[in-house]
Amino acid sequence: MNTIALNQTFIIAAYSVTWLVLIGYAARLLRKGARVRSEYDRVARENTGAVKQ
Amino acid sequence: MYQPPPRASALFGGIAFIAVIAAQAFAIMTSPAEGDMGHLQKIMYVHVPAAWMAFISFFVVLVFSILYMVRKRENDDLIAASAAEVGAVFTGLTLALGMIWGRPAWGVWWVWDARLTSTLVLFLIFVGYLALRSFVDDQSQRARWSAAVGAFGAINVPIVYMSVKWWRTLHQPPSSPDTLDPAYTMGLRLNAIALLLVTIYFIRKRYEIARLERATEHLAESVAMGGK
Amino acid sequence: MAWKDDWRRVRAIARKDLTTELRAKAGFNGVASLAVTILILLGLALGPDGEALRNAAVGAVWLATLFSGVLAFNRSFQVELESGALEPLLLYPGPRWTIFAGKLLGNLVFVSLMVAVVMIVGIVLYGITIPDRWPTLLGVTALGVVGLVVLGTFYASMASRSRAREVLLPLLLFPMLVPVLLAATTASKALLGADLMHESGAWIRLLIGYDIVFLIATFIAFEHVIEA
Repeated sequence: MNTIALNQTFIIAAYSVTWLVLIGYAARLLRKGARVRSEYDRVARENTGAVKQ
Repeated sequence: MYQPPPRASALFGGIAFIAVIAAQAFAIMTSPAEGDMGHLQKIMYVHVPAAWMAFISFFVVLVFSILYMVRKRENDDLIAASAAEVGAVFTGLTLALGMIWGRPAWGVWWVWDARLTSTLVLFLIFVGYLALRSFVDDQSQRARWSAAVGAFGAINVPIVYMSVKWWRTLHQPPSSPDTLDPAYTMGLRLNAIALLLVTIYFIRKRYEIARLERATEHLAESVAMGGK
Repeated sequence: MAWKDDWRRVRAIARKDLTTELRAKAGFNGVASLAVTILILLGLALGPDGEALRNAAVGAVWLATLFSGVLAFNRSFQVELESGALEPLLLYPGPRWTIFAGKLLGNLVFVSLMVAVVMIVGIVLYGITIPDRWPTLLGVTALGVVGLVVLGTFYASMASRSRAREVLLPLLLFPMLVPVLLAATTASKALLGADLMHESGAWIRLLIGYDIVFLIATFIAFEHVIEA
């Protein structure tokens, strides 16, 4: 009986780690994506400005 | 003009994640308890697909590394690099899950079992590739060197697995269960497909980021040169 | 006729590398001393029990070789880097592969000499009796050295020109050398004993396959990575 309870802890640990990693990496990508895109937009605006001159 | 790539569809990402939840729920609820491991084998539904995704990522690295060496197109290098990062994540996850499974199954956190050890070496190869990229500043050099290192690493993977397996066969260690009861295969396949969708989403998203960074660099250069 | 010119170029580069290395105080003597020091330190760390040392001998010899080898490989490109001689070397007419072949040959001689020293010291320090099958043992060692030098030279051609070369070369190289390490140590251990299970044959075939694969791969890829 004890084994099954112990195993349950590890099963929960496994799935928790999995979701932590999946969501964590997704969040990292989304944050970086937003940051990189706004940086691109910023430089693009500057570029248009420079060309206008 | 250097065009940024289209946005990796957030909808696709959302569907992929829901697919994983559904596949896991299905597998957990429908798989029967196994012999003395009880429900421990349920970890297989995350551990094995993660391992498969690591291999698939590595294969993508191989293909696009060779493509870059042949075609010299920057995008090929960026796809390879994106796949390498995603592959490293899944390899790390595979190792963590392997250890979490191993602790109750074998009583220890680590054994030098053939698959676990090989996966560890695979992880190191990925890490080396990513380290190389971070230590080289010149884009063209980074791409060319990454292509060689990526291709060689990928070629070495089956050799590593074979040598580690031979290394272990004389010593009869505990190893991850190999044979699969048909009762479990459906759940495994569903989880693998769902995780594949997530992997594709990750690689596309990472690639989009890499393309945007390069696009910004190009733009900044052309601003500096006062042109278009 | 062109082949003769190529071969002359290869020999010239090898001779140049070897004479600068062997003459320089810090060259061979330094690297060989380091290898021996590592061997001694390992003996201190793993001993003093004779049995333990005899079991550890093969591993210790190969680890000392690997750690000292990376120094030799980085150094083989250092001379060109410091004097800025790499560009002229590349501009000089002649196929690029001869540069790699020359460096390879130079490193092969260098590392073979170093391994000879390490093995002799190892036999003495670790109490090894020379087995009947010592020619095969030498063959295994030679095959391992080839694998080590081929990949070591290739990766050093990149790492030596990057930032953090001291850490990058081992980080890239060591995971790739896992098959060599496993094959050489396991086969050597078997040959030191009676090799009752005749496993050395399989490992020898693995080493030969590995050496061939990466000899071909590095020669193909060198063109890509050597551009400045």
